[in-house]
Amino acid sequence: MTEVINDTDEKQKFIRGYSAMVLYRALEKKAMAAQRQGRIGFFMQSSGQEAAQIGLSMALDEDTLFYEYYRDLPMMIHRGVPLELILNQLFGNRDDIAKGRQMPIHLLAADYNFMSIPSPVGSNLPLAVGSAFAKKYRNKSGIVEASFGDGGSSTSDFHASLNLAADLNLPVLFFCENNGWAISLPVEKQTKVEIWKKAEAYGMLGLKADGNNIMEVYKVAQEAVQHIKSGLGPVLLEVRCYRMGAHSTSDDPKKYQTDIVAEGSEKDPIVATEKILKEHGYLNDQMIANIRAESEKIINEKFEEQEKIPPPDRSTMFDDVYKERTWVLNEEEDEYR
Amino acid sequence: MSIMNMVQAINHTLDFSMSEDDSVILLGEDIGKDGGVFRVTDGLQAKFGEQRVIDTPLNELGIVGAAIGMAVSGLKPIPEIQFQDFIFTSMDQIINQMAKMRYRTGGTVTVPLVLRTAVGGGIKGGLYHSQSGESYFVHTAGLTVVMPSNPLDAAGLLFSSIGYGDPVIFLEPKKLYRSEKIEVPDERFDVAIGKASLIHEGDSLSIITYGSMVPVVKKTVENNSLDADVLDLRTLSPLDVDSIVKTAKKTGRVMIVHEAPRTLGMGAEISALISERAIEYLYAPILRVTGLDTPFPYRLEDLYFPDERRILNASSKLMEYR
Repeated sequence: MTEVINDTDEKQKFIRGYSAMVLYRALEKKAMAAQRQGRIGFFMQSSGQEAAQIGLSMALDEDTLFYEYYRDLPMMIHRGVPLELILNQLFGNRDDIAKGRQMPIHLLAADYNFMSIPSPVGSNLPLAVGSAFAKKYRNKSGIVEASFGDGGSSTSDFHASLNLAADLNLPVLFFCENNGWAISLPVEKQTKVEIWKKAEAYGMLGLKADGNNIMEVYKVAQEAVQHIKSGLGPVLLEVRCYRMGAHSTSDDPKKYQTDIVAEGSEKDPIVATEKILKEHGYLNDQMIANIRAESEKIINEKFEEQEKIPPPDRSTMFDDVYKERTWVLNEEEDEYR
Repeated sequence: MSIMNMVQAINHTLDFSMSEDDSVILLGEDIGKDGGVFRVTDGLQAKFGEQRVIDTPLNELGIVGAAIGMAVSGLKPIPEIQFQDFIFTSMDQIINQMAKMRYRTGGTVTVPLVLRTAVGGGIKGGLYHSQSGESYFVHTAGLTVVMPSNPLDAAGLLFSSIGYGDPVIFLEPKKLYRSEKIEVPDERFDVAIGKASLIHEGDSLSIITYGSMVPVVKKTVENNSLDADVLDLRTLSPLDVDSIVKTAKKTGRVMIVHEAPRTLGMGAEISALISERAIEYLYAPILRVTGLDTPFPYRLEDLYFPDERRILNASSKLMEYR
């Protein structure tokens, strides 16, 4: 892997990538505690998937359009989505771009090319195909990235999307973050074939990478992007990573999960990334300590600030159903007066 | 002006809109070379090319989902589902993505598309090619639902729907596709979404209907010289509540006629609206004459539809009620 890290820019790139991972992890810890304290309603952890996401993100250009799923917050942080924009959505407060209508962690950051996340798994994949068509039709630069988990690879949306994207030869990168579990179902029960191999059935390039190795993901993602930008069609990239926590704050993985990865173990992607980057001379213990301390400080401060913002006004509940309020909505609002 | 049936009127409107605006894209099964099973898109791929009239793989979920993606990325897609009966595999995309996008993004992302599909019976299509599922869509916040009953309204409502800014479910009663030819303007014109049309005036009775039942009601009223207001709703969501209440107050006797099954159909909603707003004006209970709460039958399909006999029976009950 040394060929991709032989200059200073690459070094800075990896340090920035690592910093985003640590910043995310600090946010996750704070958010999990806040959920347990009843300060936010719900949260879904991404720990275990940070290296996979950041490795991919490092390979993607500015003009990439992202259709994410609910575990992609590390990638959003890496791409510069402001913490205020994220935290406002976690709290569902007055300044939340979605006006407190979505569950926490179903994030939107359209100004940063991140489309809105729905709850149904796989449901964003066909939209990514449509947006890729629009890019191609308008000769716009950039590709579309669409994330999903191993569970998402079983949905009808997955099959419809890969088939259509290949048929129309569209610039889409289907990014499967195989963390081993779809709530309580292990991936071995999800599919009898490795997910990346399904690409061949649709007539597209399939690639895989070790999602715990940031440098490997980065390199394979670069290959995928190059393939797509060369007009050779969509790519399915599967990365194998870990779901270190529960599916969400509503379930207990101890009931079913057999491969729980402890924080700080060598399978923790932050530990794995520190090891790789230290071996390459990009990080040392002092830098790591500084980045960790700074991240915790930032997150603590931002959390306290954003939590003070009040909830949205009641009247906003009736907005944005249609471009103009219908008489039905006006009457329903009147019942609250 | 040209004389057109509904298929020709819709084809003309698509052709005109695509010529004016290159963001209008058609996609669906068999809509290209074949022009759709009802030939509504006949000739459009030859004229505009395969990038604008896309023959897609057989997958309704993919068609609708991709159309949503196109719409949020600045295009004006018009996906077609061959028969409304096959739309159900795409209902997650319609209900959870299309209908909610504006709301869940705080109004920052919109889905300006028109989802066209052929509805209802009348072509010996059996129970998988004849359903009237408008209530599924009307029940979902965020969707605008229209159903024309003649070539002129079909063209005008489709012009209004393209570029409307919200997702429009455009339901085409296949029974009426070729049943009537009338004059339709060659130029762009709009029939306002959300406005019903009073197509016959009378003082004794109101018949509220839409889609495939409009010609049946009209003929029954004319053949039997019924002294009836006949309201063609044209838009099912949002309903034209003012026109509905106005005619109910005027005559005091209301019948609702539709092809879809009775239970939780449009008749139930309209009946509730009138009860809430004009019950003191009524001389008789509101009656519904509708399709049956059975799957749509193949050999006996003619018996399924509301017909002159059932409409006249209901009319007599309304007039004789004491």
